[in-house]
Amino acid sequence: MVAGLRRDRRVMRSVQNAFAAAFVSALVAIAALEYGLVTNDYSLSVVFEHTSRNLPLIYKMTSLWASQEGSLLLWLTVLTGAAGIVMYQNRHRNRELVPWVAAVLGGIAVFFAGLAAFVSSPFAHVPGAVPTDGSGLDPSLQNPYMAAHPPMLYLGYVSMAVPFAFAMAALITRRTDARWLVSVRRWTLVSWTALGIGMLLGAHWAYVEIGWGGYWAWDPVESAALMPWLAATAFLHSVMVQEKKGMLKVWNMVLVITAFSLCIFGDFLTRSGVVQSVHSFVQSAVGPWLLGFLALVLAASISLLIVRLPTLRADHKLESVVSREATFLFNNLLLLALAFAVLWGVVFPILSEAARGVRATVATPYYDFFLVIFGLPLLALTGIGPLIAWRRASPGSLWRTFRWPVISGLAGGAFLALLGLGSSPAGLTALSLCVFVTVTIGMEFARGTAARRAIAGGSWPRALRDLVNRNRRRYGGYVVHLAIVLLVVGVTASSAYSSVDEANLGVGQSMRIDGYTLRNTGLFQRRGPNYRLEYVRLQVYKGGKPDGILEPGLRQYDTGQVGNEVDIRSSLLTGTDLYSILQAPDRNGSGVSVKVLVNPAVGLVWLAGVVFALGALITIWPDPREARQLARRYGELLARSEA
Amino acid sequence: MSPRPRLVVALVVGSLLAVFLAYQALFNSGTLLVSVAQLRSDADGAAQKQVTLTGTVVRASRTSDPMRFVLRDESSAQTVAVSYRGSVPDAFKTSRRVIVTGRLENGVFVAQPDSLLTKCPSKYSSGGS
Repeated sequence: MVAGLRRDRRVMRSVQNAFAAAFVSALVAIAALEYGLVTNDYSLSVVFEHTSRNLPLIYKMTSLWASQEGSLLLWLTVLTGAAGIVMYQNRHRNRELVPWVAAVLGGIAVFFAGLAAFVSSPFAHVPGAVPTDGSGLDPSLQNPYMAAHPPMLYLGYVSMAVPFAFAMAALITRRTDARWLVSVRRWTLVSWTALGIGMLLGAHWAYVEIGWGGYWAWDPVESAALMPWLAATAFLHSVMVQEKKGMLKVWNMVLVITAFSLCIFGDFLTRSGVVQSVHSFVQSAVGPWLLGFLALVLAASISLLIVRLPTLRADHKLESVVSREATFLFNNLLLLALAFAVLWGVVFPILSEAARGVRATVATPYYDFFLVIFGLPLLALTGIGPLIAWRRASPGSLWRTFRWPVISGLAGGAFLALLGLGSSPAGLTALSLCVFVTVTIGMEFARGTAARRAIAGGSWPRALRDLVNRNRRRYGGYVVHLAIVLLVVGVTASSAYSSVDEANLGVGQSMRIDGYTLRNTGLFQRRGPNYRLEYVRLQVYKGGKPDGILEPGLRQYDTGQVGNEVDIRSSLLTGTDLYSILQAPDRNGSGVSVKVLVNPAVGLVWLAGVVFALGALITIWPDPREARQLARRYGELLARSEA
Repeated sequence: MSPRPRLVVALVVGSLLAVFLAYQALFNSGTLLVSVAQLRSDADGAAQKQVTLTGTVVRASRTSDPMRFVLRDESSAQTVAVSYRGSVPDAFKTSRRVIVTGRLENGVFVAQPDSLLTKCPSKYSSGGS
């Protein structure tokens, strides 16, 4: 593959074919493993350890990524597939960059193929006689979300390799103008969207399946996906500054390297078992290899960056801190500060053991503190950034632009305080900022639509559609901002303003929580395919009137495991969930132990996911206008570099 | 407007760092993570303060309230009784490795509500959950 360095068209063709061949072979390997999984071939240890005969077909198939070996194979397949697409997309473009892109992607692919082939083979056999049945898949993984959540995250982790490869290629060839950025924008968006949706799917899975009433626990492995997402968010914003102003070139390189390294680090974290985690698995041989690979990636990319620093001089200087570029820069600093704080929390046990000789961990309050202290200014910038002028904004223009958003934010805050939401100052601030941001976005849409209608005429909806079509990137971005607002409202409301209570209820007894009354009307039993379900029937009353039934239960699996079966009643109107957990059935006449939570507006978190996907789709969708604009800018850049 | 944007940017970076360091200094450094043996031998004062304890479940009953279970050290035969209230993870059962936060009181480890986590024994991995 490295032969592609010579600028020979035929060699490039063969590189393209090599990636296609690698993709096909990875696919064949996956198909072979799937065949083993589906046909109960228990001589394969992967199949033996993760499936059993009574497992439904769909979960036999998805248990491919329940194993480390299988997920490595999936990782490799996605990577070679992505590399193949990159080669195809760029077959007539970026002639100088692509050979190096191929070399970097090829290097990464070889590393993972090596792991799958020599360190952690998916086709290892069970020692001794072939077992007649497998040991089964963990019950909590027998869930539709588990079919979608891991591949989504893999897609996110893996496609981050493409921007990284382009960045390295740009550094090597000294083509450090905005061209490599243009080529990788969509890839970064794909990776970032997949990570975001993957995290939300996981959060929803935890919410409905794990059953502690929450959806995010700052588990190190959750943080592992959050950190590259934060770095990629920073990158997506600072890219605009480099494209428009030719600034922050070094910074963008640093962000790409950070984002990709955090992806590898996330993989290392999940595999090595160095950090105590719900997800931490048996220590595996893969850990040291990944750490070594991470060190190699960091050392190589940073030294390359240092060698090429002179080619990355900024075209413009920052003129004022009250400007769009400065806002973007602050947004970047906050995002990275947050990512760093999370990283510090994740590696804290290791650091503390090394420095003080004792192991210690940080808990939720640590993360919540930084989420609030760095997150709230970030939210404010979400409103300010898109509206403030480039270069330098005057006080007068600031007032004109932000008059209404600021006033509505303050008014909204005052109104919410009257409703009694002042009990959590951070929550109240977050919600007021959400009003501020929503009004700025609404104004942008209204102003743009009105202007469009003034030019082209026609109806309002049509003008809106044209507006979005003509600048997908900008308005798609606003839709994503809207999703962030929904997410913040949902997270704030369901964490700062939730109520929780537990009680021991005998039959006929009731408990009250937040205006609801729940009465125990009896304990029941039912037999499932591979478990026995015990559940309590709770009659819900609101304002004295019957308001539905909740039936939380416990599954007693035949294998001896116990599983929560929570019952959630969601209100479509307010997004508020009444969440019930059966903690212990009645054994000695003292009643069943029930825990009930009222999670206000938690539905908005999931709605945010849908809006996020929509916004991301708008920005990713191919746009002929944008392509023409880029072609023109290419031309200018070329002309300038030749002059 | 500020004549020196670089200065302001530097100040912002500085203040972010300051917030971070101040938090580390003030709320110092999380809870101690100990094994059953370390708890028993009072290593680093583990028996005197709130710690996060890891061990293997040897006896568990879901019926009593608060729930009782016994944790055994992962590399010795030492055990400690745990008293726990709150939600119990799906994967909780005998022979699972768990993590729980609380403090030792009269020989019983009294856990904080809802602080119990099970370590997943499978090699399963996913990103966030």
